[in-house]
Amino acid sequence: MEIDEADYEEEPDAKPGYRTYEVYQRERVGETTNLIKPRQLISDEYLSDPYPLVAILRENYPCYRDWLSNCFWITRYDDVTSVFADDQNFETRPKRWYLDSANFGRDLWKYLPVQWAYQRKIDENIETVSEEAISSIQDPSFDLARNYAARIPLALWQKILNITLDQAQEFAILYLRMQRSARWNPQFRHKGIQSMNELAALLEPVFNERSKAPEDDFISAVAQLELPNQPPTVQDLVITILELDHETLHGGLANLWFNLLTNPEEKEKVIQDHRLMKFAWRETLRYSAPTLVADRFAKQEVERFGRLIPKGGLLRCSSAAANRDPRQFEDPNTFIIGRKDLCQREPRGQYRADGLPSGIAFGLGKPSIHPAVPKERPRSRYALTRDAAVTASLMLLEEKPAIKIAKGIEPRLTCPEIGEMHTCWELPAVWN
Amino acid sequence: MTTTNPFESALEGFPTEIEEGGKAYRKFPYMPVGEAVDMGHDENGTPLFDPRIFDSGEFARNPYPYYRILRDHYPVFHDQLHNCYFVTRYEDITNCYFDEVGFNTIPKGSSSGVLGNTQLELSGIEHRRRRNIYGRHLVGAALTKRIHALKELANELIEEWWEPNNKKDIEINKETNTVTLELGKAFANEFPISVVAQVLGIPQEAREQFTWWYDAMMSGLGGSDTHHEGLEARQDLEEYVEELVEERRSKPTYLHDENGDEICLDIISELCHSEIDGSVMSTEEITSFIALVVGGGGETTRGAILNLWYLLLQHPEQYKQVKENEELWDTAFHEMLRHSTSIGGQPRHNTFDIEMHGVHIPAGSLMHMVDVSANHDEQIFKNPEDFNIFREDLYSGKILRSGHNKEGQCSHMAFGVGPHLCPGAWISHQETVIGSQILEGVFKNVRINTGRMPKDIDGESLAPIGLGSIRELWLDFDLQD
Repeated sequence: MEIDEADYEEEPDAKPGYRTYEVYQRERVGETTNLIKPRQLISDEYLSDPYPLVAILRENYPCYRDWLSNCFWITRYDDVTSVFADDQNFETRPKRWYLDSANFGRDLWKYLPVQWAYQRKIDENIETVSEEAISSIQDPSFDLARNYAARIPLALWQKILNITLDQAQEFAILYLRMQRSARWNPQFRHKGIQSMNELAALLEPVFNERSKAPEDDFISAVAQLELPNQPPTVQDLVITILELDHETLHGGLANLWFNLLTNPEEKEKVIQDHRLMKFAWRETLRYSAPTLVADRFAKQEVERFGRLIPKGGLLRCSSAAANRDPRQFEDPNTFIIGRKDLCQREPRGQYRADGLPSGIAFGLGKPSIHPAVPKERPRSRYALTRDAAVTASLMLLEEKPAIKIAKGIEPRLTCPEIGEMHTCWELPAVWN
Repeated sequence: MTTTNPFESALEGFPTEIEEGGKAYRKFPYMPVGEAVDMGHDENGTPLFDPRIFDSGEFARNPYPYYRILRDHYPVFHDQLHNCYFVTRYEDITNCYFDEVGFNTIPKGSSSGVLGNTQLELSGIEHRRRRNIYGRHLVGAALTKRIHALKELANELIEEWWEPNNKKDIEINKETNTVTLELGKAFANEFPISVVAQVLGIPQEAREQFTWWYDAMMSGLGGSDTHHEGLEARQDLEEYVEELVEERRSKPTYLHDENGDEICLDIISELCHSEIDGSVMSTEEITSFIALVVGGGGETTRGAILNLWYLLLQHPEQYKQVKENEELWDTAFHEMLRHSTSIGGQPRHNTFDIEMHGVHIPAGSLMHMVDVSANHDEQIFKNPEDFNIFREDLYSGKILRSGHNKEGQCSHMAFGVGPHLCPGAWISHQETVIGSQILEGVFKNVRINTGRMPKDIDGESLAPIGLGSIRELWLDFDLQD
């Protein structure tokens, strides 16, 4: 593993007398961890290819104390899923907490009319939206990442919210700025908080209108909710949108096509049997999950994985590591559509179904504990997102079956910044 | 490529590569000392604060303008990159240190590192009981009676300079009648560790080995590539201590005064015979304790001696007055610790959900109490960046657990305040001052050898101390007639 020397040249050497005492404190560890340094986990190396690094953790330090980022890395499949299923001991902090905007508004996703409206609008519009994206491609070469994977979720939002194209274009700018900001970077965070206010201002007239005269859309569903304390506000709408997944459909679509185009023999399998597109999607979320980690905080002191995790301790659960855990998946570093050791339907409970692990995709909420979807509830976000991605992808494949990567291009997956999704941001393709 | 993507404008800012602005290790330019890098502003002109600065070389050499931004604009700064909070104002830090219940010292799962589970991580009665066992060795009458031993050790070290083929790289130029040495290697690295070894009761013949363990453990703390050696050193030390403890349990040894009379048991003997909650301390506990005393008593005092001489020699008018009036050594020691202490601060964890300066801090969060920032808080110390032993706002009397904040004078925070006040404060003070006084007697016409000193960014002026202590201090002085 090569580390770019240039990135470290101005960093002080770890010698006595040169570092502050608090750094000593932070870097004290309970076991030797010579195979990796915490700074590698926030290095450019991690941002471009996290898999070799998290494999070191998974195979050597299953609960790695990272003194630099002050967290514990959890990297084995069963460990990650056990943390995720354990609401008694671990809590999720919402995106608005990271944005210092805990009191900006409420997340209203839990109300069924909101979920129904979201499902209905996606189901109704995914085909139109995909068709528009595909048919707008004029040249035999185009960037699949921007004009397809990134475009479709934004175009879907226009339909979900039922707003004009002008409004949707402005929405898209603010939405992406807001979603990118829920992390440590002060510049981004500042812009994100501004964007939340601007989004509220943009949507307020529509929200007020639909409070009085509801239509069939997401905004009306939120505006019409009858809440116990305070009626819904446009700020609640913004928070509900913020807290919904934004990575999986966009990042998943880009990664799916990256995987198909870089593994032509696997793509051929899907061309032969379109039903395999669903399996390609599931394998994509396993093999190249767009969200690399999810954070959980210990609600009280708890002993796990041979360590005492203190109250407030941060567990950084790595889907990148868990999804390539050889304890679960044979040949985990290969993209295999229809692999036998991956369950082929949406996960239940501890990220399993039919006795098989499902792969972990963060951002879609906790898998349902019910063996089947109760009648009164809409499909889970796993199923919704999968159906949308599979529909869109099949349409592209049917329209352009010969699609392949443009000559001389070596596309790759990256996180542009720590905490951001790991996906293909540029995927120039040709279909001739 | 022509497409008609209506959302093109939203994607304009979309990165295709790892973004310069998003890089985990952003390169910050070196700034003139006292000036901060521009990290951006909000629409009201409030500076934004990029937590990556904490890991930069720029911050290590020029930390104070950044702490000033935090004190002025973010007195509680939530650093989401390092998952912690920084508290930087003098008053807030003092309040937290005194509130042992609200801000606890329980480490985040760090119970068996190189040093082991140490005193630093205990709270309440358990902390007090242990502290009472060894505390008296480091202060008061027991220390005063042993001042002679400090002087002997210092003189012994200096005597070695004149021995042929000594290991301290002393350069004596008979033609120009000057001596050139690096003060760390010649004196400061060894002196505090010898004092500690003696107080602990490590036999004379094991001192060299002891120094090696100390070095290995200290470098093992700094990062994972030397961590393994650190753990091995600890293991070796533990095995050695085990034998020693067995010996001392049956045959305790004593510290002696100038006349050879027994003052009290040495610390290891004392620990061997002390009971906590009805049981004697285990060898593992004693080793952790020794490791802490060694870490706390070696590195910090070494830094204090080097920083004190570096600052005084850069302020010759103040040095002149110190030479003329011996009592000023104490004042200079305190002002040096306020200006450039070796210890950056202490971690605490809030026991309850709290709100400080409008920031909500969930229970169990890591909070860094930045002592060096408190020492440069302009609400407390006027012109804090100036080294001025005659400043009127610094209390430089006896070090008190309760701190000192009255009649316009405040104590510095280099030793902390409250229950965890550094127990070695007084012995470290004595070592630094007595050691420096003895050095001063040898140093005729002493000056910094600027040619060999590390330089600042301009390549000419001397490097600032920054965080911690300077790494080396090259001095020239004239041979005594």
